[in-house]
Amino acid sequence: MIALKALSKNPFKSTLIFSSITIAVMAIFLISSVSQGVIGMYSKMIKTDGDIIITQKGISDTFFSNVDISIMEKINSLKNVSSSYAMIVGASPVGHIPIAGIYGTTKNHLSHYKLSNGEYPKKGQVLLGKTIAKQIKSRTVKIGNKRFKISGTYSSDVGFEEGGVVMNIEDAGKLFSRSASFILVSVSSPNMTDEIVKEIALLNDDVEVKTTKSFIEEYNQFKIIENSSLVISALAFAMGLMGIASVMSMIVNSRKEEFGIMRALGKSRLFIIKNLFFETLIMSLSAYIFALILSLSVLASLPHIEMLQGYVNGSLSLTTALYVLASTIFMALLGSLIPAWIASKTDPILLINQGCS
Amino acid sequence: MIKVSNVSHFYGDEKVLHDISVEIKEGEFVFLSGDSGSGKSTLLSILSTLLKPSSGELLVNSSSLNEIENLDKFRQENIGFVFQFHYLINYLSVYENIALACGNENKKDIKSLLEDLGILELSSRYPNEISGGQRQRVALARALINKPKIIFADEPTGSLDSKNSKIVYELLERAMKNGTTVVVASHDMQVKEHATQTLRMVDGKIQ
Repeated sequence: MIALKALSKNPFKSTLIFSSITIAVMAIFLISSVSQGVIGMYSKMIKTDGDIIITQKGISDTFFSNVDISIMEKINSLKNVSSSYAMIVGASPVGHIPIAGIYGTTKNHLSHYKLSNGEYPKKGQVLLGKTIAKQIKSRTVKIGNKRFKISGTYSSDVGFEEGGVVMNIEDAGKLFSRSASFILVSVSSPNMTDEIVKEIALLNDDVEVKTTKSFIEEYNQFKIIENSSLVISALAFAMGLMGIASVMSMIVNSRKEEFGIMRALGKSRLFIIKNLFFETLIMSLSAYIFALILSLSVLASLPHIEMLQGYVNGSLSLTTALYVLASTIFMALLGSLIPAWIASKTDPILLINQGCS
Repeated sequence: MIKVSNVSHFYGDEKVLHDISVEIKEGEFVFLSGDSGSGKSTLLSILSTLLKPSSGELLVNSSSLNEIENLDKFRQENIGFVFQFHYLINYLSVYENIALACGNENKKDIKSLLEDLGILELSSRYPNEISGGQRQRVALARALINKPKIIFADEPTGSLDSKNSKIVYELLERAMKNGTTVVVASHDMQVKEHATQTLRMVDGKIQ
């Protein structure tokens, strides 16, 4: 097959095209995956532990929300409510680390953080995430203006939580001067969720009650992250694809002499296009597979990079992978076949002369 | 066999051929002579259907070029080319370069043709693994494989020494004796010894 011959006998050129396509596809994958990953982690954190979320009315950001924790007693007494817990989320310098996530939570939610060693924190104590623990070697740590004893370390399914610190909600309340950032409620019967939302809303005029599903869809920060990531991904996507198309078109233009010879020997335009089609298909498919493997390896290693403290995480959906596959092949073919088609219409001797010049 | 009437050609604003009319008859060995830039390569390209003239008419066996239904097939079946710089495809072996030019029915003749030209042992080598003279013989084999009715050669010995040049001209003469029409554009006057007709070009005109 001429297509394979052309690729194997020009290893430098083939490696160059292969690398260009691989880098372009990897850029698309990594940028869109990291964006998807950030949203995915926040969603997972909220979705997994509750059906209803209660925040301060009119405050769209959980970091600034303040909900009176005493409402929990009334909530727990409602029919079809199975459990509830409160959380304070904030960020503060932790020891020598300039900023880290602080998670203050009620005792019934501490088990969400899987204990790696030590014990769950009592008053005046903190539990360090696995990632941040690697950077803090002392037995106590200063958070804000208070020193806490380290009670142990934890791991979490939500990557960036491992870069943070867990403490009981009372200590966090003093640190951030609030009662709770939000309260999450689990219901025993999912079809009663909307009914319970209404009942909770009647308990206190200062709170906003939503299902976690609608909260995630409407949460302002998610929208900002989602829109920003969409713009960045679209730019990476466009740049990557334009890169692939321009590399392919440069390669085709550098082979005009060869096409001219083939036409002079009586080979049809279809013959040239067909061979170039297979060449491009082989090249873009193999570069795509290589880029996919490399991207998955990078994404898998991200949570283990200490410097990132677990905040940067990525998830690659099948839809994205398929979409990038189709676009890569389409752009590679577009970039190679259009100039090849134009070239094949030119008089053979002009192609040969252009190739020589 | 091939006839051009009032053919002119421009490269941009520059007129390189001026109203040329020529007829090449079957079985001839035509020598197109002239200095560099005289227009002989352009005329050869037009005669061989590799270039459309800016004006004038090209008739092949009394048919206009536009009347030929499949020009690619016509070239493959009727015309052979030898260029100055051989123009072999570097990622194909000697055998594959020749096979690329021919239809399936002629593939069986490749080895005997290579043997005939004394380059059978080169069949699995690549163009960058053989000498200039050997490359030109491969190019000649590629031009001869389909037993074309006419061979066009543009400065076929331009990059060869006198020994290899002699071999190439002898092979072209042998092709002519086997019934192939040969048209050679060259400034090498050695060709004249083999030619049955000489056309001298000066400044885009035939003298």
